[in-house]
Amino acid sequence: MKGLRGHPKQMSRSTLLRYTSKIVLVGGAYYVAAILGLRLALIERNVTPLWPPTGIAVVAFLIFGWRVWPGVALAAFAVNMPISTNGLAAAATATGNTLAPIVAALLLVRVGFRKEIDRLQDALAIVFLGALLSMLISASVGAGTLVLSGAIPASKFPAAWAVWWTGDAMGVLVVAPFLLGLFQRPWSGSLRERTEAGVLLLLVATVSVLVMNTDLRLMFLVIPFLGWTAWRFQQRGAAPAALLAAGIASWAAAHGLGPFQQGTLLEKMITLQAFNATVAFSSLFFAALVTERTRAREALERAAAELEDRVGRRTADLSTANARLKHEIAERHDADRKLRQREGQLAEVQQQAQVGNWEWVIPEDRVSWSDEMYRIHGHLPKAFPLTFEKAVEQVEEEDAARIRANVQAALGRGRDHDLPPSEYRIVRADGAERVLLGKARLSVGSDGQPLRMIGTVKDITESKKAEREHRIAETLQRSLLPDRLPEIPGVMLAARYLPATSDIEVGGDWYDVVQLPNGTVGLAIGDVAGHGLRAASTMGQLRMALRAYALEEESPSQVVSRVRHLVRLLVPDIVTMIYLTFDPESGTLRFANAGHPPPLLVGWKGETSYLEGGLGPPLGATTHLGQDIEVAAHVDAGSTLLLFTDGLVERRGTSIRDGLTRLKTLAADRGEDLEALCDHLLGSMVTSQVSDDIALLALRQVPLAAEPLLLRLPAEPHVLAPLRHTVRRWLREIDADPRVADDVLIACGEACANAIQHAYGAKDGLFEVNLVLSDGTVEVTIRDLGSWRPSSGSGRAERRGGLGQRLMRELMDSVDVNSGPGGTVVRMRRSLQVGADRERTRAR
Amino acid sequence: MNELARVESEQHGSLCLVRVYGEIDMSNDREVLTAIEGAVARKTVRLVVDLTHTTYLDSAGLALLLRLAERIQARQQRLSVVVPVDSPVRRAFELTGLPSVIDLESRSEDAMNQTRPGYSNDQV
Repeated sequence: MKGLRGHPKQMSRSTLLRYTSKIVLVGGAYYVAAILGLRLALIERNVTPLWPPTGIAVVAFLIFGWRVWPGVALAAFAVNMPISTNGLAAAATATGNTLAPIVAALLLVRVGFRKEIDRLQDALAIVFLGALLSMLISASVGAGTLVLSGAIPASKFPAAWAVWWTGDAMGVLVVAPFLLGLFQRPWSGSLRERTEAGVLLLLVATVSVLVMNTDLRLMFLVIPFLGWTAWRFQQRGAAPAALLAAGIASWAAAHGLGPFQQGTLLEKMITLQAFNATVAFSSLFFAALVTERTRAREALERAAAELEDRVGRRTADLSTANARLKHEIAERHDADRKLRQREGQLAEVQQQAQVGNWEWVIPEDRVSWSDEMYRIHGHLPKAFPLTFEKAVEQVEEEDAARIRANVQAALGRGRDHDLPPSEYRIVRADGAERVLLGKARLSVGSDGQPLRMIGTVKDITESKKAEREHRIAETLQRSLLPDRLPEIPGVMLAARYLPATSDIEVGGDWYDVVQLPNGTVGLAIGDVAGHGLRAASTMGQLRMALRAYALEEESPSQVVSRVRHLVRLLVPDIVTMIYLTFDPESGTLRFANAGHPPPLLVGWKGETSYLEGGLGPPLGATTHLGQDIEVAAHVDAGSTLLLFTDGLVERRGTSIRDGLTRLKTLAADRGEDLEALCDHLLGSMVTSQVSDDIALLALRQVPLAAEPLLLRLPAEPHVLAPLRHTVRRWLREIDADPRVADDVLIACGEACANAIQHAYGAKDGLFEVNLVLSDGTVEVTIRDLGSWRPSSGSGRAERRGGLGQRLMRELMDSVDVNSGPGGTVVRMRRSLQVGADRERTRAR
Repeated sequence: MNELARVESEQHGSLCLVRVYGEIDMSNDREVLTAIEGAVARKTVRLVVDLTHTTYLDSAGLALLLRLAERIQARQQRLSVVVPVDSPVRRAFELTGLPSVIDLESRSEDAMNQTRPGYSNDQV
C-alpha cells in the first residue's frame, strides 16, 4: 500500500500501546458519529443522507495511516450489527464502509493532496476522488447487501444506492475538511479575528436554523454567509460553517421540518443533497481559491521586494564606483597642483631655513647662486654675476684665505668627494657680521679633471649665539646649585639637575638643602619662569635669599611669604617654589607651597600620595593678599619624599596629570638605594629630548638604631644642637626610657662641648661621636685628634668645665678619659635600667 | 625667630619674669645671658627666670645661671629659678648642687608670690 504508512515489522510495547489507543480512538469516534448519523436516517435505519463516520474514517487513514483499519472495521460492524438482518450482512456492510475510506485516502495521497486544502487541486481531489469516486464502493457494497439480505426489495436498490452514495460522499465533504482543520497548527488569530469568526459561525448557524424552520424556501440565504466566512477565514472558517449548515439541513430533513415538510422522499433527498453539495463545494472551492490567490499575491509582493532590494544594491555599487572615480580624479588634480607648488616652495624653504645653494662650473669658472645665497650675503637676488674669486671675496679675509687653500687642495685630489664642512664669517655691506656654515661636493671628469662643485650655505649666526648663551647659563646654573648635600644622620638625600637639551632652553630650576640651627632640615625646590641667563641668575638670587630667610624664620609659610615679598619688589619673573622643614627626630614635615607641583610621599610599603595642601599662588603672579598657608605631614621611617620641578612630569601633548600619575606609579616601585631611585625616575620619565630643565630632590628617613651611631663633626659649637637631635632620635629608637635618654644626652653634650672647647683651640678640627647599644648598656665614645689644652683661663669656661665633669660622672655609670698626644678619648657607659634596678647594677 | 633659644620677659612692678624657651648650650649661652640681663629693668627687685619651657640645659646653662646670680646679687637684687619637677633640666640642677646657691622653685606662681625682699635673702 504505497503512500500510506505500512506495518512495521516489529512493534515495541509502547508502540503497540500507541497503536491500540489509536484504534480505540478511531473506532470510538466512528461509532459515536455513526450513532449521531443514524438519527438522520431517511430509509430504513441505516441509509442516511449525511454519514459523518466516513469523513472520520478518511481523516483517520490520512492522519494515522491505513493500519488503523481494524478500528474502523470493528466500529462499522458494531454499528451495522443491530440494524442488519444478520451478522453476515453487517460484516459485508462494514467491509464496504472500511474499504471506501481506505481507497479514498490512498487516492488522495497518490495525487499529492494537502491536508490544508489550500489549493484548488486539493478541493477538486477531495470532492471527486475522496468523496464521489471512493464512496461508490461503500454505496454499492451497502445497498447490494441490503437487497441480498432481503432488507429491501431489488426495486428499491437504485434509490438506496443513491442515498447511500450521497450520504457517504457528503460525510466526507462536510466532516473531513472540518476534522483536517483540527489537525492543523493552532490558529494565531487576534482576539478581534477570533470574535469575528465566532460571530460568523453563529450567523451561519442562526440563519440555517431559521430557514429550516420556515415553510418558505429560503435555504439559499445560507450561501452568502458561508461565502463570507470562507473569504475571511478560508478553510479554518469554511469547514466548520459547512459542517454546521449541512448538519442543520440534514437534521431538518430527517425530522421533516420547514422545506422538508412536503414532497416525496426522493424530492426531499434531492433537495437536501443539492443543498449539502452546494454548501460543501462552494465553501471548499471558495476557501481554496482565496488561499491560493492570497499566496500568489504574497509571492508577487516578495518578488517585488526582492527586485527592489537588488536594484538598491546595484545602485549603491554604482555610486561607490562613481565616488572612487571622482576621488581618483581629485587626487590626480592634487598631485598636479603639488608638483607646481614644489618649485616655489623650495625657494621659500631656503628663505625660511636661511639656507642657500650654489653651483660652480669649474672649466668656465661660472658660479650661480640661489636667491637665498644673495640674501644671506646682504644682496638682492641675482644682483650680479659671479666667478669663484668674486664669491670668495664676500668672505672675511682671514677665512677667505683658508677657503681658497681648502678648495685648491680639493681640486688637486682628482676624484669625487665631499669637502669638510667649514664655518666662516662674512661682513655684509651694512656692516653686519654673520656666521655661515658651508658644505660642498666636488665632481670630476673621467680624466680626473675637476668639473663641477655644488654646495649649500647656512646662516648659523643665531644658533651660534644661542649655543653660547646656553653654555653660559648652564655653567652659571650648575655653579648656583649646591655642590654637595649635607650629611644628616638618619636622613638620606639625593638630588639631580638635568638641563634642557635644546639650544637656549636652560631654565631657572633650583633646589637646596639647609641644616637649620634647631636641628631640622630645610628643603627647597623652585622654578623661575623663563629660560636662559636671566632665569638662571634670578634663581641664584632667590636661592640665597631663601637660605637667609630659612635661618631666621622657623615657619615655612613665613619663609615663603618673605620670598614672595622679595619677588614682588625685585624680580620681574613668575616663580613657583615649595619650602619644607623636616624634623628628623620626630619625622614631622611642615611646608608651604607657592604654585609648585606637589611633593610626592612614598611610604615604606610603596604607597604613594601627593602632598597637595599648603598651596598658594605662584610668586609674582598676582598680588597675594592672603597669608601663605602651612601644612604638616608625617614621614615615617623608610618613607621617601620626592620634590621635583614640572620638567619631570610635563610632556608636550600630554597633560601634567598624566605625568603625575606616571611618576606615582614609577616611584611606588622604589628601591633600597635613593640614588638609584633618582636615576630610575629620570630614565623612565624623561624621553630623548629634555624640553624643560628638571630638578629632582629626594629625601628618605632611615632608622638610626639599626646600627651604632657614628658621627664625625667639625669642632664648632653650632654642631651641638643638630647632634642632640640625632642622639635623641637614636635613643628613642633603641627604646631608652626618657629619663635615661635625658641623662645620656646631657653627658654626651658635655663630652662634646669639652672636645670643642679644648681640643683645637682656634684651629679647625673634627671630633667623633660614637653610640653603641651593647647588652642593655649604652656606650658613648667621644674622640678628638687634638691635644687637650687647658682653657684660656676664662672663669666662664673653667666653671662650665667643672660642672660638666661633675654632670658626666653623676649621669653615667662610668666615665673614662684617656688623653694622649694623638688626642683624647672619653668613654662613658650607662645602663638602660632605671630607678632601683639601676642602683643595684651600679652597686655591683 | 629660628634660634636655638628665645627669651621673653614681663615686668610686674619690681618683679621681672623672664621665660626662656628652647635649648641652652655653649653655642648660645652668652646670647641668652645678654638677653636676660637686657630684660631686667633698673627698678627690679626680684628676677624670676622661668625654665619651664627650656628643653635642654647643660653645664654651659648652669654656668650662665651662676654668673647671672652673681651679677644680680651684686646689684642687690634677688634671683629665683623655676624648674618643674618633671623637667629634663631639673636633674642637672640637682646633681650639681645648684639649689644650694640659687633659689629653685618648681612653679612660676610660687616664685612670683614670694614677698621676701631680695636683700634679706639669708642664703647668700
